Amino acid sequence: MRPVLMKVAATVLTLGATAASAAFVTSHLKNPGAPLQPPVLTGTSALGGAVVVGPSVQPTNQPPITSTYAS
Amino acid sequence: MRPDKAVVAHHFEAMGTACSLFAVGMPERRLVDGERWVHDLASRLTRFSADSELSRLNARAGEWVEISAELEAVLRAAGQAYEMSSGLVNAAVMPSLLAAGYTRTLNAGATAVMLERARPAPALPEVLHVRSALARIEPGACVELGGIAKGWMADRLCEVMGPNVVVNLGGDLRANGAGLHGDGWPVSVAGVTLLLRDQGAATSSVRRRRWGCAHHLIDPRSGLPAETGLEEVSVVAASGFEAEVVAKTALLLGPELATAYCSRNALAWWLDGHHDA
Repeated sequence: MRPVLMKVAATVLTLGATAASAAFVTSHLKNPGAPLQPPVLTGTSALGGAVVVGPSVQPTNQPPITSTYAS
Repeated sequence: MRPDKAVVAHHFEAMGTACSLFAVGMPERRLVDGERWVHDLASRLTRFSADSELSRLNARAGEWVEISAELEAVLRAAGQAYEMSSGLVNAAVMPSLLAAGYTRTLNAGATAVMLERARPAPALPEVLHVRSALARIEPGACVELGGIAKGWMADRLCEVMGPNVVVNLGGDLRANGAGLHGDGWPVSVAGVTLLLRDQGAATSSVRRRRWGCAHHLIDPRSGLPAETGLEEVSVVAASGFEAEVVAKTALLLGPELATAYCSRNALAWWLDGHHDA
């Protein structure tokens, strides 16, 4: 009798957790009307300063063949 | 012995801007073929011709319309740009562009500015639906592909042309391969020369394509020409498309957030503007 009760309890617990999760997710849907802002850390600005170059890009003294002029 | 490796270059005008193609050890006719590819695709993706594939899609809002594989790919890229930028790069800003007077090519001149008609842009996924070879735009909406198309085209043309090529479509640029000397292609980004290898770069600016009190970069949150305090952003990223999206997003974020955003999303970057927006 006891194993049956434990199985029933586990099943009820699983179903309950599933229902609670579904209710939580449904009530926290992404709001498409929310203010648009990518998730970034606040930071300081460096306007007009030097070009910031990461490790995968190398500066050079070679003459450029072209540029990313603004169009 | 004559060296068989040399950089060949080809320059032309397309999409209202200057374009350049560079390659190592490639016959120039291949670059001319590349120019033809750009003109052909640009004529299908432009909003300035009523006969273009994009204009026909916009004109049939509310219907599922058959589209080419290329338009499908660029429309999907527009959706990807929207997701990457949390909605700041939004191809559905076209009604605001029209209200700002950008109704025809700027060579023909802007028309009257009627910013009182500008509205915040709708969420792109709510007005643009893309399936295999089909697309549907909701009634009242329309899309323009602008810089997204240029970045996407630069990436695609690089793939088409070969392994050691640079494609620069009006500043939306993709560099594939090791260049002439094997260390990358030297490209000027904000006045500094960087060696790019299998990378893209772009500059987003509100200093050009200006007329009166308006310019071409619309902030989808307001529907008005963006005034964030940033005027120009240059970015190096993994592809031309990604560089275009990151540069435009950073400019729309403004100076307080753009540095942190670029540090997470760009390989190199430069910001310019003013603090008193």
